Amino acid sequence: MTPDVPSPLRDAVQRDLRPTRPLRPPFVRALVLIPLAVAIVISVPGLRFFRSDMAAIGFVKAWGFSFGQALAGLIIIAVALRESIPGRGLSRRAIAVTFIVGLAIPLVLLAATASAYDVGPEPGLGLQEGIGCFRVSAISAIPALLAAAFLAARAFPMRPALAGALYGLGCGLIADAGLRLFCDYTEPAHVLFGHGGAIVAAMVFGAVVSKFIPRP
Amino acid sequence: MAPRAKEDGGRMDPPEAELCAHMKAYLDGEIEAFDALYVAFAGRLRGYLLSQCRDATLADDLLQETFMQIHRSRRTYQPGRPVTPWVYAIARHVYLMKRRSAGRRARFEESLAADARADDEVSRDALDVMVSGDEVRRALRGVPEDQREALLMHHVEGWSFHEIASRLGIRVNAAKTRAFRGMKKMRDYLK
Repeated sequence: MTPDVPSPLRDAVQRDLRPTRPLRPPFVRALVLIPLAVAIVISVPGLRFFRSDMAAIGFVKAWGFSFGQALAGLIIIAVALRESIPGRGLSRRAIAVTFIVGLAIPLVLLAATASAYDVGPEPGLGLQEGIGCFRVSAISAIPALLAAAFLAARAFPMRPALAGALYGLGCGLIADAGLRLFCDYTEPAHVLFGHGGAIVAAMVFGAVVSKFIPRP
Repeated sequence: MAPRAKEDGGRMDPPEAELCAHMKAYLDGEIEAFDALYVAFAGRLRGYLLSQCRDATLADDLLQETFMQIHRSRRTYQPGRPVTPWVYAIARHVYLMKRRSAGRRARFEESLAADARADDEVSRDALDVMVSGDEVRRALRGVPEDQREALLMHHVEGWSFHEIASRLGIRVNAAKTRAFRGMKKMRDYLK
């Protein structure tokens, strides 16, 4: 015996039924963020000033690494969009690898760029400079984060906070890709607080924002 | 490898390719395709939801809510991909949201109590055949949610670990581990 569709359910579905275009695959949807990512990477130093050693580190280590990091951020946003699709959630291992790799990228690029780790703020200005970088990076991440949150919410995420933390990480990386063209400090305390802290803040913000965006 | 049809209580579940075709027609706006999907999934989903909430009436409500949610989020289905994991992920989400909204522990305890009171009524259900006796129920209550889910799907509903992994969106080894740990916890309790 096959079950019949209950009339109230069928009527409700039929009233609302019309041809619907399915969402595009997550990696395709992440592509719409490319112009925003490019704008963020360029505008962070462009609206202020470029790091003093731009010429010394060369084009590849400056622009190449920054756009590489922004690309990694976009890929992580695409992973978050995939996580947001019912039935396509990531395994625990994939989640852990994504977070670890994402958080390690700025440190790896710093190690590949810096010749020493003693370039920092003037004595007594450490906290102020740290807060400055944190603020610039965190604020720069917000436009991409809101756009990613909107894209993710359209896909009905089963674990919105996780998806939010993932796209927050991706957006934090994009903002930090611009910040590294603006700030040449290599001192670990500054890098971890001012730069890494902003990425973590973007993750937390993404996790919180995702809870408040209505889903279908 | 082509998806195979699965025999379930004398009825053949349609293969994934057929479900994909129904889903595509449903996205095109055909109500008959929705009917076909309902026929294909209603029985299985009800069994799944019943294994989660252990309340026949609540399972029926959740089933309707699941199909409404499937309708609301139908555009998130990606043509060509398997329909079953998508449908089960939504069903699982609907169940979890329902449970959360009602207050996790209190709701769970209440549904167990209701289940015990309505023993005669529920006795027709497959779950009751497999899970009988207050001791077993109490032992099940002590098993963490994710482990109980895998345990029931495998030992009560007879799903393979591959199917469980596919439907819960986890790895096969994780499904095995959850079921094994859940069974171990039950054994420890029953000792």
